[in-house]
Amino acid sequence: MKGLHVIGVSHAYGNNKVLNNVSLMIPAGELVCLLGPSGSGKTTLLRLAAGLERLQQGEILINDEVVANAKMHLPPEHRGIGLMFQEYALFPHLSIIDNVTFGLDGQPKDKAHRRAMEMLDQVGMTAYAESYPHMLSGGQQQRIALARALAPEPKLLLLDEPYSGLDTNLRGQIREDTLSVLKASGVATVMVTHDPEEAMFMADRIKILGNNGRILQAGRPHDIYYHPQHEFVAKLFGLMNRFESVVKDGHVDIPLGRIPAKGLENGRKVAVLVRPEGVTLTSNGGAKSAAGAPLEVVSTHLLGHDNIVRVALTADNVPASERDVYVRIHHTFEPELSQQITAGIDPEYAFIFPTDEEGESTGTGNRLLSVSQPEAAE
Amino acid sequence: MVELTSSFMLDYETLDRDHQRLADIVNLIVGAIDGDEGEKCEDLVIDFVKSAKAHFAKEEALLAKVGFPNVKRHHDHHESLNFKMEHLIEFAKNAGDNKLARDSLRKELVFFLMDDIITADMDFKNFIEKKSNAEKT
Ligand SMILES: Nc1ncnc2c1ncn2[C@@H]1O[C@H](COP(=O)(O)OP(=O)(O)O)[C@@H](O)[C@H]1O
Ligand SMILES: [Fe+2]
Ligand SMILES: [Fe+2]
Ligand SMILES: [Mg+2]
Repeated sequence: MKGLHVIGVSHAYGNNKVLNNVSLMIPAGELVCLLGPSGSGKTTLLRLAAGLERLQQGEILINDEVVANAKMHLPPEHRGIGLMFQEYALFPHLSIIDNVTFGLDGQPKDKAHRRAMEMLDQVGMTAYAESYPHMLSGGQQQRIALARALAPEPKLLLLDEPYSGLDTNLRGQIREDTLSVLKASGVATVMVTHDPEEAMFMADRIKILGNNGRILQAGRPHDIYYHPQHEFVAKLFGLMNRFESVVKDGHVDIPLGRIPAKGLENGRKVAVLVRPEGVTLTSNGGAKSAAGAPLEVVSTHLLGHDNIVRVALTADNVPASERDVYVRIHHTFEPELSQQITAGIDPEYAFIFPTDEEGESTGTGNRLLSVSQPEAAE
Repeated sequence: MVELTSSFMLDYETLDRDHQRLADIVNLIVGAIDGDEGEKCEDLVIDFVKSAKAHFAKEEALLAKVGFPNVKRHHDHHESLNFKMEHLIEFAKNAGDNKLARDSLRKELVFFLMDDIITADMDFKNFIEKKSNAEKT
């Protein structure tokens, strides 16, 4: 199969084991994001794929050709790889066109020039061919770096946190530009990032690398968001409300309501994580209502089209550590103007994880199905 | 088309045979999609899912038997694939008249086979190799 295959790769620097039996596949034409905290071994994995680091254990194939295993090591320049690493920034002393032509040195001059111009055209930068890197903005430099990486028609493109140097406003546009260029090129791409939103936006598929050097979960962005299999993964994507409880009669009770504990035995200690959009606020128009958890609004923050509302649950039996709850609601709802509001839970956004003795969750998260809920007030 | 080259072999015959059979079904499905016979996908995907589940059960039993220490983790991994299989069936049901469903099915299926099933099994490849060598000697 065309693309990159990493099979059972482990890697250590001295006693520091950074990759632990990692396997993954990136088919041609797909963009896979490797998402993980700093120090989890993302860069190491890319360096191994590129051949910049010698493989210690496992096997790496590119387009069905073994490029590294216990016995052999194909040097980087023979792997047909395009790189965009921070340390592979543009050469400051070369013009833009010379930067892009740089990787085409085996080709006849006029052919290389044509190819470079074609790439500049693809990234919309032909007007800057004779400029120098320092004359361009960060975003423009990024586009040139992409053109340079793609010019030799690599079999595989490796991007290591390519946008970390750019400011947030610029990043969105650059991501979109990059995506359309990559889609047009059809090259298998691995992009490393520690930014979950970036991974969500860019990737056909996300691989989550945990602190122990293992892949924790792999899937479509949608799957990672709605079916996190570990507390670690669930927490990656923004604010989370966390509750602790014990399974009783096939259910888990948390201050926001009761949810079914699908597949978990009674007596099991669990953590329940609820996304801010999974907390529903109901305005009771002054009438006392039995359903829902009573609360006070602490503060609201406008975030795009939404409000992030911080509330404090007021019932006596709520543990102090679980009183503060974040809620995401459409900004036309102004909770501070309502008399009586209670909180409930939308099971789509709630995840249960069994916890071990230390309170750290293990195992598979259940997506909770069908709990009847009052509609959130608009 | 998916081809299982030697790198993807566990060198454990019953499991490799299962994987090959799953790959064969995937190739039939990809063939149906490319041959504009999207309506054939549903039956094939149902067959694929059934075969995959049977394979998981067989594989877990075998791992338990040979004493693989991370059987539970591998079992959890298989379990976590259930909803993905539901998605595959959903795509397949719509593959007859919906291009997006066909495209998604092809893409997800190849990922599913190569990444979630076969590459994930590399987790126990070393262990099982040692076991079968020890048995031979
Ligand atoms: N050349 C090296 N020599 C020794 N340790 C290294 C080297 N490169 C990385 N490390 C260590 O390996 C771990 C993983 O690093 P890295 O692959 O850069 O992670 P990431 O890119 O996810 O932040 C870190 O603990 C880092 O300190
Ligand atoms: Fe298997
Ligand atoms: Fe398996
Ligand atoms: Mg890094």
